[in-house]
Amino acid sequence: MTTMGRAQVAEPAAAPPAQKSAPSRPATAPSKPAATPVRHAAPSSPSVPAPIPINRTVIVLDPAHGGVDSGSQISDTTVEKNVTLALAFRLRSLLTARGFTVVMTREADAPAVPNAAGSAMTLDDRAGIANHAHAAACLVLHATPSGSGVHLYRSELGASEGQPTVVPWLTAQAAWIPQSQLLANQMAAAFSRSGLALIASNASVRPIDSLTCPALVVELAPSGDDADSINDTDYQQRVALTIAGELVSWQNQVQPPARLAAAPSATVVQATPSDAAGAQP
Amino acid sequence: MIQRHQRIVFWCLVVCIVGMGVLLAVERQRGRQRIAALADDDQTPLDAPTAMAETVTLDLANDGDGSIAPASRQIALPEDPNARARALIDHLIAEYALPGSAHALPPGAAVAEVFLVPLPLVGYTTDSTSSATKDGGFRATVPVAQSDPDPVQAKQPGGELAVIDLHSTFVNQHPSGVEVESLTLRSILGTLHANLPQIEQVRFLVDGQARETLAGHADLLRTYPAVDTTSSGSAASQGRSN
Repeated sequence: MTTMGRAQVAEPAAAPPAQKSAPSRPATAPSKPAATPVRHAAPSSPSVPAPIPINRTVIVLDPAHGGVDSGSQISDTTVEKNVTLALAFRLRSLLTARGFTVVMTREADAPAVPNAAGSAMTLDDRAGIANHAHAAACLVLHATPSGSGVHLYRSELGASEGQPTVVPWLTAQAAWIPQSQLLANQMAAAFSRSGLALIASNASVRPIDSLTCPALVVELAPSGDDADSINDTDYQQRVALTIAGELVSWQNQVQPPARLAAAPSATVVQATPSDAAGAQP
Repeated sequence: MIQRHQRIVFWCLVVCIVGMGVLLAVERQRGRQRIAALADDDQTPLDAPTAMAETVTLDLANDGDGSIAPASRQIALPEDPNARARALIDHLIAEYALPGSAHALPPGAAVAEVFLVPLPLVGYTTDSTSSATKDGGFRATVPVAQSDPDPVQAKQPGGELAVIDLHSTFVNQHPSGVEVESLTLRSILGTLHANLPQIEQVRFLVDGQARETLAGHADLLRTYPAVDTTSSGSAASQGRSN
């Protein structure tokens, strides 16, 4: 966990103008979290900021774990990190075929920080990549040997009224909770139509609380009693098809949260770089 | 004919045997007196139950459908709230270690200690005056130093933060997965909420240290609200938030 990630951060929507229209390619993967340290001047008037831009054709996939972090032991021969990566590749193919641009936080066993070869990627780095993409949906992929079917979770944070000018890194998802809940409901309905067993709930799994996009944790469990059935290609394909199909309709429904106007007392936020670096949640 | 020196040796041995017998009897009596003295003192552990069994609610998790359902148990609990919270969690984890449990966890001690801290956290202490005692016997807090500008506030007077220090042996053997880890935490939160309503928030430590996750997934760094985590309670709270 980086100190950067723990600092209170500014909302990342101060995107370059080019990102305000849906680009054909996502923003370049960053080497640090999207949100940058607080450095705000006092607002000249309490006008409501512009809406947060969303790239409706961009989906972020985060295959959890990787490298020395194997995740859970699914069976004698299967570990979680391999299952999540396989499902992510399958999803990427299906989403790309449907016109999406897919941003993945890792494409190999060991995740690495972009532009910083050899550096291990933290969970905050993954959130930074996702936040830079301004995606229509962010899916954190997990796998487990317990239970069966698909487990779907959104963040346990309570919904906030809107996205403030300065967003706490650890609760950045709060403004997106209504959208995440809506996506979870529609995804659950899609799984139900597909005949896949589903458990939908809330969970606190890092880095979902730091994501500034409609975000869900999708945990793949075995299809039956045999834990190795989680590797079944037909089963994974059914799950991926269901998710990809639902995201096609979701891209036209996603709405950014309202942005809250900066309070007049924001003059106190004349942060210096050292202030921002030393900020604690 | 027995010689004189042989008779002297014989009687010396007899005297030694009798002397040792007397010494043995005396030491035995002293040992009995020490044991009796220990038995007379109150040497029971602090968290041993001293009251009759009472009905408590355990929020039990089910891996099959991801649900949490309340279940009543008759359990003798200690009076001290800290020990009471620890005993509740120990009984909860013991239920999961039973054969056929719907949320199987490894047997053994899970909790090293539970600390109940009055809210708000910084620069406050409990007010021991009788006028500060609220309904239910909970005591209000008063500032004793320059207060934190943004402290964790209590929702009700007497609200407390429970800091649960888990054993690393339990955490290291805990099954890994979002669902199974979340159910364990929600089960603990719900059980504390149902039986110790003054607990408003919960934090977890492992062997006294902060740890990122329970078994690779569920966040252990955040502060959890102690709320009704049963399926019906969660649905109701979601309905309110939406």
